[in-house]
Amino acid sequence: MTDAYDPLDFEFEEPIRISPSVPKKKKKVIGLDDLLEDHEKEQKRINERKSKRQKIKNTSDSEEDEDAREKELSKCVDKCQKEMDQINDDDEMPLWGIQVFGDQKIFPALEYPEPRSFILQSIVNNKLNSLVELTIEKGEPFLEGLLVDGWLLKLIFTQGRVEKSISTWIFNLMLYSSKEWLRKAACEFWCSILSPEANSSGIKIDWLPSYSDLKRALGIYGYLLDSPSKLSSDIDMIHADSDTAGPPQNIRCWIKYVAACCQVRNMHVIFSTLEAEDFLGVIISLFLDRQLLCLSMILHACMYSVISFFKDEEWHDSCERVAKSLCCRLPGDINCLRTVESISGSNGRSKHLRSAVAKQFLIRCLNEKECDAEDILRMLISINVKDKNCDLSKMYIYLGLAENWLLFDPTLKDNAKIHEMWRSCLRNCSCGIAITDLRSYASKVRSKASYLLQGMANK
Amino acid sequence: MENRKGVAGGAANRGLEENTMAILDTSGFNSSKICHHLNDDRLAFLEAVRCASLLSINGTAPTSIMFEAVFQILKDEDSLDLIMESYQLLVDLNKRFPRVYLSKTEKSESSSSNVMSELVVVQEAWSPFSFGLDSYNEKAVANKQLGGSVDSLSFHALIQEVVKVSRERKSEAVEIKFLRNMLLLQYLIIILEDDFLPRNSAYQENMNWTLLRESLLNMLLGSRKIIYKSFIQDCLCILCDLTFDQTELSSEMSHNSRHSGDLSDGIDTALVLALPEVEKSTCSVLKKLVLMIMELDLSRSMADLQGSTTRADGVRTPAVDIMLEELIYNSDILSSFLQVFDEPKWKLKVIVEYFQKYIPKSSVRTRRSNGQVKDQTFDEVLKCFSNSNSTKSIVKKLSIEVAQLLLAHAFQAYLSLSLQHLPEGSSELKEDVKGSSLAEVCKNLISAFTSLRREDKETEILPFGKEALFTAATILSTKS
Repeated sequence: MTDAYDPLDFEFEEPIRISPSVPKKKKKVIGLDDLLEDHEKEQKRINERKSKRQKIKNTSDSEEDEDAREKELSKCVDKCQKEMDQINDDDEMPLWGIQVFGDQKIFPALEYPEPRSFILQSIVNNKLNSLVELTIEKGEPFLEGLLVDGWLLKLIFTQGRVEKSISTWIFNLMLYSSKEWLRKAACEFWCSILSPEANSSGIKIDWLPSYSDLKRALGIYGYLLDSPSKLSSDIDMIHADSDTAGPPQNIRCWIKYVAACCQVRNMHVIFSTLEAEDFLGVIISLFLDRQLLCLSMILHACMYSVISFFKDEEWHDSCERVAKSLCCRLPGDINCLRTVESISGSNGRSKHLRSAVAKQFLIRCLNEKECDAEDILRMLISINVKDKNCDLSKMYIYLGLAENWLLFDPTLKDNAKIHEMWRSCLRNCSCGIAITDLRSYASKVRSKASYLLQGMANK
Repeated sequence: MENRKGVAGGAANRGLEENTMAILDTSGFNSSKICHHLNDDRLAFLEAVRCASLLSINGTAPTSIMFEAVFQILKDEDSLDLIMESYQLLVDLNKRFPRVYLSKTEKSESSSSNVMSELVVVQEAWSPFSFGLDSYNEKAVANKQLGGSVDSLSFHALIQEVVKVSRERKSEAVEIKFLRNMLLLQYLIIILEDDFLPRNSAYQENMNWTLLRESLLNMLLGSRKIIYKSFIQDCLCILCDLTFDQTELSSEMSHNSRHSGDLSDGIDTALVLALPEVEKSTCSVLKKLVLMIMELDLSRSMADLQGSTTRADGVRTPAVDIMLEELIYNSDILSSFLQVFDEPKWKLKVIVEYFQKYIPKSSVRTRRSNGQVKDQTFDEVLKCFSNSNSTKSIVKKLSIEVAQLLLAHAFQAYLSLSLQHLPEGSSELKEDVKGSSLAEVCKNLISAFTSLRREDKETEILPFGKEALFTAATILSTKS
C-alpha cells in the first residue's frame, strides 16, 4: 500500500477517477446522438452561410450556381432529418391507453323521497319543532344534512330498516350528484348498510339496486366498450377533446359500490354469476383509461372483491369466460400487456386470471383459433428474429404475454417439454439479436429474453 | 418475542437481485432525450419485482437493495405511471411479507388450552424507516446519500409539506408532487401500523413493554430530532385541511380543468379524478396515525404504573392533551376536527375531557389514584346542563356554539358506541355507554339543548345541533 504521507498520492489517483467514463462511449445509443449533433452543426453552418450570402447578395448576385448547390444540400439535410425522426419515433414505446369513456349523456334528475316516507313525515310532525324550527320547505336540505353528517345512518341502524324511497334517493345521489360531499356521504351510506356489520345487526333493506341500474349508470357516464360488436381496431387511441368526454367524478362511487355489492353475496343476492363476470371485465377495462390511472388503488380493491365473489366451483369457467371476452373487446397491441399487468396476482385466483388472460391474448395475436400450449410455443419459436422484416415490437409483446401465461398456468407447472421449448424460444431472441442491432425494439427484446433466461437459470 | 430470520435465499436470491437490478442499469444512456426509455426500464423493473416476489409460486421477498430501488422510485419520480405502480407494489409486498406478525401457538400446559399469540419479528426485513440514535446524528447525515430511508425528521418534513400544499395549490407540477407525497405518507403510515398493531396486542397480553419500546412508532416519536408538539399539531392540520378541501375545492377544480381544454395527455383529468380519493384516504390513514399514538400513550401509561419504563424512555406529553389544548385555543378547527375524527371511543373521550376543563369539579380528583384516570361519562356531562346555574357557568367560559357542537358530536359518538356490537373484553367501553339507557340520554340531550337555548334566546341552534335533536326525538318516538 502507498504511504499515506506520500505527497504524490493525489496525482496518482487523478487519472483513475477519469477513466470509468470512457467505456460508456461504446454503447449503441450514442449513434443517434452523434447524428443529431452533426446535423445541428450542419444546420448552423448553413445558417451562417445563408446570412453571409445575404450580405454578398446585397453587393453582387453573380453566384447562381452556388444557390443551386445550396438547395441540393438543404434538401439532403431535410431528408436526413426525416429519417432521423423516423428512427426516433420507432424506438419510442407507444404509451398504453385507449379511450374507454366517450361523451357523457344527460344525467337523470334527482328526485327527493316522497313525503310519505317515515323520516320526512317525522320531520314535520316533530314535537320539538320549537327548537328545530323545521318546515316542509326546509325538509330537503335538512335531509341532505342528516345524510352528510352521518345521522341518517344512525337512525337507520336504530330502526333496523331502510325504506325504498330513501335508498333510491341515496343511490341516485351517489351515482348522479355533482356535489362531492353528497356523493361521498351517499357512497359511505350504501357501503355501510351493505357491510357485514350492518347485516349482523339485521338491517332490512327494502330496495336493492340491480345489475341493470349499475349498467345504466355506466352507459350514462359514456362507457364505450360494452358492445362486443365494436371491433377493437375501431377503438380510438386518441383522447377526444370534447368537453364532456371522460368519466364523471361519480365513477369512483360506482367502483366502490360494485366492490361493496360483491362482498355480501351470502346475504344479498345482487348479481348473478354472469353479471359478476361482466363487471370483472369492465373493471379490468377501466385500467386501460389513462384518466383513471390514479384510481388504481380502488380499482385493485374492487377487482379483488369481484374475484372473491365467485364460488370455488364457479371460478374456473368464469375465469376462462372473462379472459375470452376481454380479448374480444380490447386491442391486441401494447394495451394487452397493460391489461395483463393490471391484474395484480395477489392471490391464487388473481394469478389464474392473469395467466388465462395472457394466454387468450397470445392466441389472438398469433391468429390462431384453437391451439394447445405446444402449438403456441412452436409458433413463437418459428418467428425468425434475424429477419429484417420481423416486427420486433410484436415479439416484445409476445414475450411479455408468454411469460405471464407460463409462470402461473397450473396445468403447465411441471411440464418439462414446455419449459424446454420456452427456453429455446428465449435463446432465439437473446442470441439471435446482435448487440449492435439498430432495429427498433431490438435491444428491448434481447434484454427481456436474457433477463427471463437468467431467471430460469437462477431457479 | 421471537426473532426470525428471513427466508434464506442465498445464492439464488443474489442472482435474482443482480438480474433484476440490471434492468435499471442506465450506463448506456446519457442524454435527456431518452427519458422515456428510463421510465420504460423502471416500469419493467417494477413488473419484474412483482413477478419474482408476488406472482411466482415460491417467491421470496425482494432483497433490501431491490426494496430500496422501488422505494426510491416512489419517492423521486414524477411520472404518474411510476408513482402509482411503485406505491401499489410496495403495499402488496408489505402485505405478503410482513415484518412483524403474531403467530398463534396453542399451549396445552394449563388445564384449559388457551391460545397464546407470539410476536414474530423478521429481523433483517427491509423497512423504509431508520432511526439512528440521536447521538450518532452526524454519522446518519453523512450516510444519507446512501439510502433513501426515512427518519423522524424527514417524516415530519413530509407531513409539513402535505400541510403546506393542501393550503395553497396551483400548478399541475405541484399536484403531481402533492399526490406523490400523500401516497408516500400513506405507505409510511401503513408500515407504522403493521408494526405497531401486533406489538400492541401482544403487549396487552403479556405486558412486556420492550415490545412497544422497540416499535417503529415509539422510536419515531421518541426521537429528539422532532418537536413532538408541533408534530401532533401538524397531524391535526392535515386532518382538518383535507376534509375542508374536499367539499370546497374539488368541484371548483374539476370546473377549471374542463375549461382549460388541455386534456391531451389526460394527466389533468387523471389528477382531478383521483385527488379527492387520495385526499380522503390520506385523511383516514392520518386518523389511524393519531389513534395509534393515543393507544401507544395508553399502553405507556400502563407501563409507567407497572414500573417497566426506564429513564431512557424519556417523557412525553400524551397526544390527547396536546390535541385538547390545540382545540381549545384554536376553535376554528374544532368543527372540522369533530367532523373527521369519527372513531367513537376516542371521540367521546376527547369531548368529555374537553368539558371537564370547564365543568366545576364536585370533588377533588387525584389522577392515577387507582390506576386509570377515572373519567366522567357523557351522561354526567349532560346532567350538568340540566340546571340553569351550572349551564350558566359553563356557557360563561365556553361559547354556546362550542357547547352545542361538543354535545351533538358526543351524542353521535355515544350512538355509534351503543349501536356497535361490543366485542368481549372491552369492559371499559361498556362503562361509557352504560350509565343510563339510550332513551334517557336522548331525553337529557334535548333538555340540555333546551336549557342552552334558555340562556340566550338570540342564538339559533346550529344545523348540526338540530340534526342531533331530530335524531334524538325520532329515536324516542320509535322507542316509546
